[in-house]
Amino acid sequence: MRRAVALACLAAACAAAQQIRLESAGARSWFRVEGAAPGGRLAVFVDTAPGASPDATPMLGSSRAEGGSLVFDPRFPLQPGLRYRAEFRPASGPPVIATFEIPRPAAAVTRLEHVYPSADRLPENQLKLYLHFSAPMSRGEAYRRVQLLENGRGPVELPFLELAEELWDPDGKRLTLLFDPGRVKQDLLPRREAGPALEAGKSYTLVIDGAFLDASSRPLDQEYRKTFQVGPADRDPPDPKTWRLGPPSAASTEPLSLELPEPMDQALLESLLEVTDLRGQAVAGSVEVDRQETRWRFRPAAPWQPGNYIVLVGKTLEDLAGNSIGRPFEVDVFERVTERIARETARLPFAVR
Amino acid sequence: MTVSRFRLCAFALFSVAVAFGAAAIDYSASLKAGKAELKSAGALAFGPDGILFVGDSVSAAIVAIDTGDRKAAAKAGPLEIKAVNEKIAALLGTAPDQILINDMVVNPISRNTYLAVSRGRGPEATPVILRVTPAGKIEEFSLDNVKSARVAIPNAPDAQAKDARGANRRMEAITDLAFVDGKVFVAGLSNEEFASNLRAIPFPFREADKGANVEIYHGQHGRWETNSPVRTFVPYEIKKEAHLLAAYTCTPLVKFPISTLKPGTKVVGTTIAELGNRNRPLDMIIYKKAGNEYILMSNSSRGVMKMSTEKIDTFGAITQQTERQGLSYETIPELKGVEQLDKYDDSSALIVARLVEGGSLDLKTIALP
Repeated sequence: MRRAVALACLAAACAAAQQIRLESAGARSWFRVEGAAPGGRLAVFVDTAPGASPDATPMLGSSRAEGGSLVFDPRFPLQPGLRYRAEFRPASGPPVIATFEIPRPAAAVTRLEHVYPSADRLPENQLKLYLHFSAPMSRGEAYRRVQLLENGRGPVELPFLELAEELWDPDGKRLTLLFDPGRVKQDLLPRREAGPALEAGKSYTLVIDGAFLDASSRPLDQEYRKTFQVGPADRDPPDPKTWRLGPPSAASTEPLSLELPEPMDQALLESLLEVTDLRGQAVAGSVEVDRQETRWRFRPAAPWQPGNYIVLVGKTLEDLAGNSIGRPFEVDVFERVTERIARETARLPFAVR
Repeated sequence: MTVSRFRLCAFALFSVAVAFGAAAIDYSASLKAGKAELKSAGALAFGPDGILFVGDSVSAAIVAIDTGDRKAAAKAGPLEIKAVNEKIAALLGTAPDQILINDMVVNPISRNTYLAVSRGRGPEATPVILRVTPAGKIEEFSLDNVKSARVAIPNAPDAQAKDARGANRRMEAITDLAFVDGKVFVAGLSNEEFASNLRAIPFPFREADKGANVEIYHGQHGRWETNSPVRTFVPYEIKKEAHLLAAYTCTPLVKFPISTLKPGTKVVGTTIAELGNRNRPLDMIIYKKAGNEYILMSNSSRGVMKMSTEKIDTFGAITQQTERQGLSYETIPELKGVEQLDKYDDSSALIVARLVEGGSLDLKTIALP
């Protein structure tokens, strides 16, 4: 694994026969004092400042005697980029102190690869943004590193729902930013007090700070900006009847294409549609989403067989404003109660000939 | 996080036991000895008998752990650990900026405090459960040999769906847990679809239940309804009926009776307070002082809110356009920067807070306001 570098050997350590060594095998590392007489204590500290602090907290771990050596096994792996101070205090005589720096492995610089929606015109009630990074990122600073500017005016205050948990994907490479629903929804106090985060007719810039740290605590390669215009709110649920299917030809591996009159939520569009035959058997293949999330294409793994098929669309598919199939994001319970009918899936039949 | 959870529900359990002459449940007997596997440690809640529930968002599971921590506390004095994040980092052999304290809960029996901590901030971070004794000693609560049980959280119907690159990127952040009436309630927020699914999982674990889709009437006029997710909640009895007081992502505070939460059903809650801009609820506790009862709610760095529960039972469901109603609140200005809050004892709360901007992150008891 990593090669530890002994930085210094202080006090009596250099002259003494007893030296502290850092040894490692695989992911494990441990500290060893050879020829340690019984009764000595070995403790390891994160070396944050020069000089030992008398009330410093030693790191967790366990000590054991091995042959004539005293060995300290840290409870957690040593962290690249940090310096550790090992202190051996024999039953009698001066302490032996050594520091070790754990080098950081070289790695490519992390980039912001894409921001979804791809479009540069978003509805006033836009619900989510997805930031895709090239490598895993650090949790705990997202809302400090992302800023929304109203062009010509300056920062929009608290546009996003800030959750300590933050909404990352399992790889830590995609961050979901939710616009504060209290400012998206009509008639709520936050919206009446502070107004919507986005207003129709204005333009905005999303700024991703280059100091945003990846999981290895390294900054991004640069600052990123995405500028977009804002149009009127979209309060209509997507209607699959308005979608246009382009069936492929039999015996080909042409993609089945589905064209949508408005952009959909990229993550959900990529994952919630499925192609099956009439018996419900899924057709294997791969999905592509392009044209600013208004086109979904499915390329089969094997050539199309003639016959009838169905595209099943999960009911939780949302458009940019969080309206899902058969259900608007907001339902006016006094005027539009009939719109609360939700369907499990929408079925789009097509034939391959 | 949150709670006087156990204390509130203890009464309900006791009532059931008396009414039906049922033998006390040995919760520990339902757990298996061995290593409790966690991929992450987020929301925490105490159940009965020192059982600790841990929300593991990465594994999409709730893990119940018998802490064996059942020795009633001697009278606990004030507790204060300055720069607690630095001490934890030193203990875990890392730098303070590599530590996240995800949740904090006080064992109501022993007054030992449990912290869910991430060592590291990336997806490979190591979850650690720490215990802070009333004397202020921080120690690891080892998961290597404990009695535990886990239950997978039932996922959204399309959770297995893969994106165009063949990856399932969907994940649900477990934002709060509470144990009440023999069930673990779980609030979560998906990183993809915007939907509310409050789950109730009977404990001892059998299988996770589908969860009720909670729909609420929001707002001044109770007019615009959405599937907004629950962010944090606290069990609370209103007229001897167990309720949840839930704070939603779009800020209303809502009450609904637990008896109405049935799998697969939709529940209508009642908005009891409309919280304005900048109030993003983190934790809630309920306490009594001088004969009155209050809700104390911490918000993300914007002060702590105190509300009297005096009129909480008088609000009916909002079914027609009405004028504004709801609990009024006062903000405790000196409690800014509170990141974790739980009830410590009858007269104090425990917080993790950076009370002075740019100052240290401290763990300390405060008098209940």
